Amino acid sequence: MPADFNWAIGGEAGDGIDSTGKIFAQALSRAGRHVFTSKDFASRIRGGYTAYKIRTSVDQVQSVVDRLDVLIALTPRTIEENLDELHDGSVIIYDGDRTTMQGVEIPDEMVGLDVPLKSLAEDAGGAIMRNVVALGAACEVTNFPIENLDSALQKRFGNKGQKLVDNNKDAARLGRDYVGDEYDHEFNFNLETTENDYVLLNGDEAIGMGALAAGCRFYSGYPITPATNVMEYLVGRIERYGGHVVQAEDELSAINMALGAARAGARSMTATSGPGIDLMTETFGLIATSETPLVIVDVMRSGPSTGMPTKQEQGDLNQMLYGGHGEIPRFVITPTSIDECFWKTVEAFNLAEKYNIPVYLAADLALAVTEQTYPPEAFDMDQVEIDRGKLVDEDEIDEWLDESEHFRTHALTEDGISPRAKPGTAGGAHMSTGLEHDELGRRTEDTGMRVEQVDKRNRKVETAIERESFDYREFGNPDSDNLVISWGSNEGALVEALDFLAEDDLDVHVISVPYIFPRPDLSEEINAAENVIVVECNNTGQFANILEHDSLRRVQRINKYNGVRFKADELAEDIKETLAETAEVHQ
Amino acid sequence: MSAFNAIGDGRDVDQNEFTPGLEPQPTWCPGCGDFGVLKALKGASAELGRTPDEILLTTGIGCSGKLNSYFESYGFHTLHGRSLPIARAAKLANPGLEVVAAGGDGDGYGIGGNHFMHTARENHDMTYIVFNNEIFGLTKGQTSPTSPKGHKSKTQPSGSAKDPIRPLSLALTSGASYVARTAAVNPNQAKEIIIEAMEHDGFAHIDFLTQCPTWNKDARQYVPYIDVQDSDDYDFDVNDRREAAAMMAEVEDALHEGTVLTGRFYVDEDRPSYQQEKRAIGEIPEEPLAERYFDDSYEWERSADHFLDKHK
Ligand SMILES: Cc1ncc(C[n+]2csc(CCOP(=O)(O)OP(=O)(O)O)c2C)c(N)n1
Ligand code: SF4
Ligand SMILES: [Mg+2]
Repeated sequence: MPADFNWAIGGEAGDGIDSTGKIFAQALSRAGRHVFTSKDFASRIRGGYTAYKIRTSVDQVQSVVDRLDVLIALTPRTIEENLDELHDGSVIIYDGDRTTMQGVEIPDEMVGLDVPLKSLAEDAGGAIMRNVVALGAACEVTNFPIENLDSALQKRFGNKGQKLVDNNKDAARLGRDYVGDEYDHEFNFNLETTENDYVLLNGDEAIGMGALAAGCRFYSGYPITPATNVMEYLVGRIERYGGHVVQAEDELSAINMALGAARAGARSMTATSGPGIDLMTETFGLIATSETPLVIVDVMRSGPSTGMPTKQEQGDLNQMLYGGHGEIPRFVITPTSIDECFWKTVEAFNLAEKYNIPVYLAADLALAVTEQTYPPEAFDMDQVEIDRGKLVDEDEIDEWLDESEHFRTHALTEDGISPRAKPGTAGGAHMSTGLEHDELGRRTEDTGMRVEQVDKRNRKVETAIERESFDYREFGNPDSDNLVISWGSNEGALVEALDFLAEDDLDVHVISVPYIFPRPDLSEEINAAENVIVVECNNTGQFANILEHDSLRRVQRINKYNGVRFKADELAEDIKETLAETAEVHQ
Repeated sequence: MSAFNAIGDGRDVDQNEFTPGLEPQPTWCPGCGDFGVLKALKGASAELGRTPDEILLTTGIGCSGKLNSYFESYGFHTLHGRSLPIARAAKLANPGLEVVAAGGDGDGYGIGGNHFMHTARENHDMTYIVFNNEIFGLTKGQTSPTSPKGHKSKTQPSGSAKDPIRPLSLALTSGASYVARTAAVNPNQAKEIIIEAMEHDGFAHIDFLTQCPTWNKDARQYVPYIDVQDSDDYDFDVNDRREAAAMMAEVEDALHEGTVLTGRFYVDEDRPSYQQEKRAIGEIPEEPLAERYFDDSYEWERSADHFLDKHK
């Protein structure tokens, strides 16, 4: 388990929590420390509490835990919300002069540092810098060299002029010195630095970056939490590579535009969350039956309906697998970590074009809003390969013409994969339609052709299973009797839970699944294990149901649907309990 | 069929090239106005010197949506109401294409109404032909957004209580830069208008009156029709938004009183298209998006530094 340190800043929406937290995260990353961030939001109606949390270590960190060592509290509510995570010796930095914080109670076993954030900020040039004063104070508490903070401040404010940067640096120093001068408490934290070079990014950004690297040239979307960042990432960048981003009038339009651009020959993508997927489902069938390559990203959030828009859930799996009337294959890929958001996006584009099929890329809020550090090599662009599948140009058209010289866009091939010719390609004029069609794309209700086209579309999946490796990721002890399976973003918490379980001498085999369809066949592993637990952030166990169906065996389930992602320590407890229950049943 | 040879872009294209060798016999009912659109579109395409390979025709769902089965080109028969976003994105991705979207009045003014409004507003460089037969044809004659008030159908047996939509006015207020109405019974005007629309840089909307003898027997065959540009009775400036708006209101009222007024109602050659606006602010590259792939090496600019620096 990494020797970790957990830090947070919390206050009200509008207190600048996010940007302050980000500055500290960047300072840590630049100092060669690994960082894993998370955000707490609460409903605005209840006062708009929000917090930015950082877990940091010199080793890699990939989960949150239920522990907070240093908290900058701008409101009393911030303390209340985090009482469970605070412990003996936790430090709380606050401004006792702030009206709402006057007379605030710091629990006895904790260390309260009353720092006049606002007035020190004013001394440095403006009250607006009070959060930076707090960061300076935090540097003193954690023995973290303030120069690292300087470089993050430079990055954040550099484009607004050196004066502002210098003021902020001064503000940080006033905070640091105040704690040093006024408190002679021995703090036991020591945030050591390393020479390592890291990048810090969240899942949405990794998806956007993956799309660019994969040659995505067209993106259309309609803003929705937590997917909007994908669009915001691409705007201003994609143009440099010849692409374009469209903000459409709604998700119906967004997906149809992505489809139109894809048919015109551009690698194309849209991203949304559950409510948008509902609208896009209308067009999904047309994409699939017209055999158009398209990447559809669903950054899942808590549903149904508007649900809990800023909360975590993995509730859309069934929707992606089965959404839309009729029957037609689609691929569903679920990146299990932030770096995998990048790689799976690249893969999604290749799969879409190799098999002329819509690919759902299912991320979730936990991946989208979490920032994590990686060495830059984790995103090695030279490893990115682009395969455009059977996209034919005018020299290749002839191979695909029938006797009447018409292009066989839905040719009944052995591997199920037909050619694509983008409009404008000489000799390739053809039509395509959402109606059932023959090889030439003409509508048909011929019983034989109907069956042949359905079989052909399914054959693409068989081919993909033969040619690709839809593998799982494995952690822990592969020989253990206890098998824990998860999909998507739970991987990090699960991997770290292994360390907690090891403390109790519990030995577990973890399988993390990034491909839901086509998916690895886990029936052997499931039937070989004594205890099988499926972990997912939803109520009904959508993936567990699939695995039971695949393996013809009942599995145990750990389901979380309160809107909060799994935490490593909590998940370890859940696994222990579940194993204990099974043991009782077996007795 | 007369083989009309035209010279456009320095090329001779025979309009028969737009007749697919495969399904030459349209399944529209005898006397259906949709034949008129097909004929005019073929004539216009040939006259502009476009070849089937250069045209992308997207259609919605309806009798009208069958258009691309009978028109040889790259064709995409899409969903009910969704042909516009597909068409406009294809044009963005591949500006060399001649992009035409077509569909019914239910398709374009009802279920796809929001896309109509926004495609016009954004002034995408494309042509949109709405087959306006004032009913739902394919689903057998139900009331549509353009059915006149009082029009009886199986779904509105006591007569529609709703005022019909005003398609020309809607196009104008939404931002279309070319707005015309023509009729299947006037093939020459129809062809000329389609040519103008295809040549227009921006969103060109054609409300195309297509009689449906099968389900809309009450409706006139849209004869006699008057071409406002040819008539001395109508004097307005097609380039003037206010005059155009007044004229459109008159045209829309007149239709339901039995007077079929056709012609160009608004033309704005100065308004930049979406692509021109976006290119001006650097958000659309000069080179077509889709073109960037045709080198096998895929060696477009891709360096880790570009991507990763921001995250340090
Ligand atoms: C989502 C959806 N709803 C309903 C239909 C059934 N439908 C097909 S065409 C049509 C209306 C056609 O009317 P219009 O658009 O005016 O075209 P026309 O047939 O008159 O040319 C309807 C309701 C459909 N295909 N899709
Ligand atoms: S039902 Fe009407 S619109 Fe449809 S083909 Fe027949 S005449 Fe034409
Ligand atoms: Mg109609």
